[in-house]
Amino acid sequence: MNWFPGFRPERKVVITHEDIDRAHDRARVNAARSRRTWFSQLRLLWLLVGPGILVMLGENDGPSMLSYAATGAKFGVGFFLPFIVLTFAMAIVVQEMTVRLGTVTQRGHAELIFERFGPFWGWFSMIDLGLGNFLTLITEFIAIRAGLGFFGVPPWAAVLCALALLYTALMTHRYWTWERITLAIAAFNLIFVPIALLSHPDWHAIRQALITWKPVPATDKDTLLILLADIGATVTPWMLFFQQSATVDKGMTKRDVTFGRADTVFGAALAATAAVATVIATTPLFIHHMSAENFQAAEFAQALQPLIGKFGAALFALGIVEAGMVACVTISISSAYAFGEVAARPHSLNLPVQQGKAFYAMVFLLAACAACIVLIPGLPLVYVVLVVNVIAVLAMPPALVFLFMLVNDRELMGDVVSPRWANALATGVVIFLTAAGVLFGVSVIAPNLFAAMGGK
Amino acid sequence: MAQESKMNNSVDLAEQQLVLSTLEPEQLAEAKKQRVPRRHLKGRELAILWFLRIYLLFMIAVVAYQAWTGAR
Repeated sequence: MNWFPGFRPERKVVITHEDIDRAHDRARVNAARSRRTWFSQLRLLWLLVGPGILVMLGENDGPSMLSYAATGAKFGVGFFLPFIVLTFAMAIVVQEMTVRLGTVTQRGHAELIFERFGPFWGWFSMIDLGLGNFLTLITEFIAIRAGLGFFGVPPWAAVLCALALLYTALMTHRYWTWERITLAIAAFNLIFVPIALLSHPDWHAIRQALITWKPVPATDKDTLLILLADIGATVTPWMLFFQQSATVDKGMTKRDVTFGRADTVFGAALAATAAVATVIATTPLFIHHMSAENFQAAEFAQALQPLIGKFGAALFALGIVEAGMVACVTISISSAYAFGEVAARPHSLNLPVQQGKAFYAMVFLLAACAACIVLIPGLPLVYVVLVVNVIAVLAMPPALVFLFMLVNDRELMGDVVSPRWANALATGVVIFLTAAGVLFGVSVIAPNLFAAMGGK
Repeated sequence: MAQESKMNNSVDLAEQQLVLSTLEPEQLAEAKKQRVPRRHLKGRELAILWFLRIYLLFMIAVVAYQAWTGAR
């Protein structure tokens, strides 16, 4: 690279354990790329997918699945089905930029913001990420606790299970192994598809909703809150930081951008399928006029039990546990990557413990703190779950502007700066998210003005 | 590759060659210690960043107010 002065290819370098592990992964990619058979191309795809699927399925986390469940229970099949698909399309536009940025610069997102725009803006960005990630982590443990609670597992045991899984996945000290273990767990997000089938969906209504976006719900505060929660269930700041850092840690280069895009689109398709399935699965609650106000995972499963059977309800509770577990892993690692990048400490899942003490300590410290908070008796956890997705939506426009500026920085990106159409789409996403946030603000602080705008 | 490498004792020759032949120079952990040069933000960019910062702080206060009234 020639964009950072002082880097000279001929200077002496130290080869680390991290480099060796990454080189082994890249050797397999190069071997697959050197052959031209369809099998080797499939193998290449298999080797290069990961960050995109993980980020999308990771974002189908505890609060997100509960938001989708609340959507189905409150509004049934209608406007929100195609709306959720649209939010995933927005996520593809945004996440594709992080793939390009990571492969070209070989730097994490936090590192680039700090070094390119200075510590003043860097710290703002870090505070947004740190606060958002920590609140979200708490909600993941709430989801795990509530989901396992359906099976009679006590809260302390549920939390310990989640921490043990996080520990097991990390202790491989190998990005590739960690990624495959987490992908295997994340695949269980599709458990919501059989649950939807068990709810005997009305396929005609689903088809009509996807085509016509109808029936449209009333414009009131509850609808806005669900709208914001569903957007926050799909596009959030941690996703930007995670996918860019994971792309770099995986060792992807400019030659892999096409596969990175395919990975992102495939991940979004899987996640959108699971999200839509969740709305369909809880639609029977809407049809039977069952109030799902302030429901958590166990309550949803219990309410669904008479409608989809004990097996279906158990699957629902397991799905919420899985959603919380995967997000717990990805979000805590996203925070640790950002911490390592900003503090200039080694930050890779290829690091042995001795070399990556600060990185691994950060992952466990965050997860353990969030887990402890969930165990405090009497805390109003339901409010944390409700506001966490809304906060994610509100924090997204500033994060997107940093991404937008970086991906259009010709000094960094050279000839792979964003094309005009991508910039137009990204600008549309920023305006849409900001407008949704402003509308929500108006509905809370000026309900009369909101009513004058056509709301209730 | 023309890179001259100072290797750790634990890294054998085959692994050194593998690293140097498969990774691009900027992918090496050592290369990532180089800082990215600072960029001067223009007036319009600063205005947008400040606007969004104020928007975020204000909206978080709105959410906190809503959560507080909801809790009551």
